Amino acid sequence: MLTAKNLTKNYGTHRALDGLNLTIESGEIFALLGQNGAGKTTTINCFLGFIEPSSGEAIINGLSVKDHALETKKHLAYIPETVMLYPNLTGSENLAFFSSLAGFSYSQKELETFLLKAGLQSEAHQQRVGGYSKGMRQKVGIAIALAKKAKALLLDEPTSGLDPKASNEFSEIVKVLSKNGTAILMATHDIFRAKEIATRIGIMKEGHLVSVIEAATISANELEQLYLQTV
Amino acid sequence: MKNVIANKEYLSSLRELRFKVMGALVLVLLFTALAGGFVAFQTMKKEREMAQVEARETWLNQGEKNPHSAAHYGSFAFRPKSELSFFDFGVDSYVGSNVYLEAHRQNDAKFSAAQDSSSLIRFGEMTVAFVLQLLVPLLIIFLCFDAISKEKEEYTLKLMLSQGVSIQQVVWGKILGYSKALSWIILPTLLLVFVLMIAGTEAGFTADSFLRFGLVLGIYCVYFFLFLASSVLVSAYSASSRNALLSLLGIWILACIILPKATANLGASVFEAPSNFEFREAIKKDEANGIDGHNPSDKRFDALKKKVMAQYNVNSIEELPVNFDAIAMQEGEKYSSMVYSTHFDRIEQIYQQQNAISAYSALVNPYMAVRNLSMGLAGSDYKTALGFQKYAETYRYQMVEMLNNYMRDFSKTGDWEKKAPAEIYAKMPEFDFKNPGIGQVLSQQWIALLAMFLWVCLLVFAINNLSKRLTF
Repeated sequence: MLTAKNLTKNYGTHRALDGLNLTIESGEIFALLGQNGAGKTTTINCFLGFIEPSSGEAIINGLSVKDHALETKKHLAYIPETVMLYPNLTGSENLAFFSSLAGFSYSQKELETFLLKAGLQSEAHQQRVGGYSKGMRQKVGIAIALAKKAKALLLDEPTSGLDPKASNEFSEIVKVLSKNGTAILMATHDIFRAKEIATRIGIMKEGHLVSVIEAATISANELEQLYLQTV
Repeated sequence: MKNVIANKEYLSSLRELRFKVMGALVLVLLFTALAGGFVAFQTMKKEREMAQVEARETWLNQGEKNPHSAAHYGSFAFRPKSELSFFDFGVDSYVGSNVYLEAHRQNDAKFSAAQDSSSLIRFGEMTVAFVLQLLVPLLIIFLCFDAISKEKEEYTLKLMLSQGVSIQQVVWGKILGYSKALSWIILPTLLLVFVLMIAGTEAGFTADSFLRFGLVLGIYCVYFFLFLASSVLVSAYSASSRNALLSLLGIWILACIILPKATANLGASVFEAPSNFEFREAIKKDEANGIDGHNPSDKRFDALKKKVMAQYNVNSIEELPVNFDAIAMQEGEKYSSMVYSTHFDRIEQIYQQQNAISAYSALVNPYMAVRNLSMGLAGSDYKTALGFQKYAETYRYQMVEMLNNYMRDFSKTGDWEKKAPAEIYAKMPEFDFKNPGIGQVLSQQWIALLAMFLWVCLLVFAINNLSKRLTF
């Protein structure tokens, strides 16, 4: 579903991403670990088409992102690190807005279903987002991704700043999505979360994907050791 | 897609305190300016119409008197207020409102509204046009300086683009949404202008008034679009909302304050106009010595004498069947008129050149384009005032000519006492100056029209070629 072929990105003389090769199948969760500046976000931005790679290509559902910028986005949902949304609109209005940008027009009831599925309590649906906590905004972000019914999901440090309960709820939703066949690429700093939900885990350093491990074959402590040795 | 973004932008603008407060303020200013402008317009219009009627009555009821006394007694021409001038005063307040029409002298228009006010009027009057041209752009800037930059700062732009919309759709959607929000302020005002124009003036439901109003509406909409589009564009290219606001305020100050003053000053210093004193002295000199300097008035007088005597086949002035004094006066009038209009045209040309710099600056500064077009359509621009001055001079010449010719035929040379009957004054038609028609205004303002068209093209091009790889 998601494929990176020799993906390389240079900023002047700095090489942010160096010949990344990666394939994520439907139903698979791939967690990218690595320090800040290792190239995790750059990878995600390449899939989103926000960054044009210096060489190599990002492919979604068999289509090159570069040549089919708008087409590939149909197969893609994205949750940024900080979901800010529009403070003047209610949670439900935010969801309706982003869904209609993707070409969906949902009834009020369907919108509420998505928000509930994302874990947002129903009292909050009609409140303006200005008064939301970070976790609540994140849930609207998830609802936006759910409502898009995309085949691939890109997550950029989705659990950073969430309390353990919210973080756990988030993991559950991601698991459900992958069971339903969504390919998920998740950049994260949370080693234990990665071990818990990912199918495979990759560790990045200075633009290289240094090692890829099957999550089932390694314990959380071993993963932490490996991570510390790598970076 | 565009409409989805537009609706969201519209909805959140209306919910925003910033827009509510500033919008209400601008709306109050607009309505105050409109009410003030309309009351002042009506007062001045009535005053001038009454004064014109009075001047006509005085002229008609002079009773029996020598025609030349009547020519010296003279009359007054009042510049009528144009129907839309309550909306844009233009230069109306600074140019004279009436001309004294008398024999031998071409007077300037005197008594401008500015003369009747304190010198504070120099700082500008509060008119609807002032608010629309200067303050609404400021409102636009404050409304949408962060249109894109804030979306970048808060990552919502990324989220939007990841949903499969193009940056062009985002920009157009925003422009559309803000336009909708702004129309709450602009439309009621312009609607009221229309109602006042139709109901409160003598414009009536004529093609000219509809066309005029339609054009005023059109050019202001284009003007606001230019500010909206540039604000959104600057916002898209700025690294932060703060930078966007600073850049946009800089542009506003440059376009609305500095450039208009600079071009006016540049015009005045490049094309220097003679002082009023020099102008009058030059005319006096040319009248006495002849416009070519070789044809002094006494020579001209002798030549005329010979010509007239030959024409009537007599040997002396006394034998003439007509009043030679009247002929000589008419000839003098003709000559001085010729000298006057030669000088007037020359000075006029200098003023036109001065104004041309401002007019051409519209190509780089849409504010000048809308200012000139708005004044022109409102009939309160310099060209209208100039048209009045010229019309008044033609009327004056006709009046003096009529009296001279009458005197020539009904009395003998040297007879300054014979009285003409009171009816002759009615031969002179009423002073009936009409403000220039819409076709004339548009042809005078072609640079402004062209400038607005070019700016629209430029901005549409810039938006459609906006790089999707803006700094994220």
